[in-house]
Amino acid sequence: MEIKFLVVDDSVTMRRIVVNSLKTLGYDNYVEAQDGQDAFDKIKADSSINFVITDWNMPNMTGLELTKAIRSNGPTETLPILMVTTRGVKEDIVQALQAKVNNYVVKPFTPQVLKEKIDAIISSI
Amino acid sequence: MKTAPNNLSEIFEKLQDLKEIFKFGEKIVPILQSLIEFMKDVVPLLENINTSIAESTNKMPAAFNQINNVTSATEMATTEIMDRVDNITNSLGEIQKSLSNISSKSKAKTEIVLQLADFLADNSAAKELLSKFHEYDDIDPQIDKVNEKISEVNNDGYQIMLALQVQDITSQQLTAVNHLIESVNDKLASLVDDIHEANLDNEVHKLEAPEGATFDPNARFDRDENRQINVDNIIDEHKNKITSQDEIDKLFSGE
Repeated sequence: MEIKFLVVDDSVTMRRIVVNSLKTLGYDNYVEAQDGQDAFDKIKADSSINFVITDWNMPNMTGLELTKAIRSNGPTETLPILMVTTRGVKEDIVQALQAKVNNYVVKPFTPQVLKEKIDAIISSI
Repeated sequence: MKTAPNNLSEIFEKLQDLKEIFKFGEKIVPILQSLIEFMKDVVPLLENINTSIAESTNKMPAAFNQINNVTSATEMATTEIMDRVDNITNSLGEIQKSLSNISSKSKAKTEIVLQLADFLADNSAAKELLSKFHEYDDIDPQIDKVNEKISEVNNDGYQIMLALQVQDITSQQLTAVNHLIESVNDKLASLVDDIHEANLDNEVHKLEAPEGATFDPNARFDRDENRQINVDNIIDEHKNKITSQDEIDKLFSGE
């Protein structure tokens, strides 16, 4: 199955870093979104997106809100979501788990960790 | 109808009350005088405080904007660094292609020379030249070394790119600082409003943060692997357990 990633981050720098890391890992199929709302619109418009990598802190719609929106929207409720964020405290991680993210990576991340989490999610779907 | 003695008695009582009031007045007047003196001292002090607040708060928009400018400047600089790293990576990719091309052509050349050598098998001078040719025919190991160096430079470029995550993290820290400045500014604005009611002037400008801006106040650039390990442990522990808010509440209450 070909993976089409949606990389969601309000920071252009971070989007570029994540995209570069995906390319290094051999994934060339991706689209980008600048916040949760933009991401949700793209997910609804493009059914070929089958993996979401999202930041938490973003204007308009946060990554957590995006996760909840995806999970409560029938056609997208099982879409794999990897949260990549600076938030590393227990309360945040538990909140993200409750919102049903598939996995969680803290920034600054390493490509090894990103690969490990992506592989784990892909092997579980 | 009241009798005269009764009236007189009431008058004496009133006079007695009046006397007490005067006595109290004698006691209170110095206090009032002290209070007036105190107010004379306090009002200029309040004016000074008001002026100081106004001066401080006038600097706040500048600090606020300066921080926003720093964020924008670092974002621009980061983008420029990334562009350069991408250029270097692309150039290295082209060099690798050229090297691969050189290697293929070199192999083809060697093949031709070897075929030519077959025709000159009886020629001793040709044999000598062929021997020299083999001495110099070490281009592939050289190319391998160059490719190794290119891989190292590519990897360094990628590491630079990864290190630029610091820009996102510091921008969140700066947004948190701006949020603090905004909060302090709002408090001061409220204080100055109160002083205005005492007929003192000066105005505090409202700071306008970007709409909908969110940030992690605890964001930090920490490459300690234990952070991710800690996250993984929490996920492993609770991933399959958490189904309700009650369970989360239990988790944090230590039940």
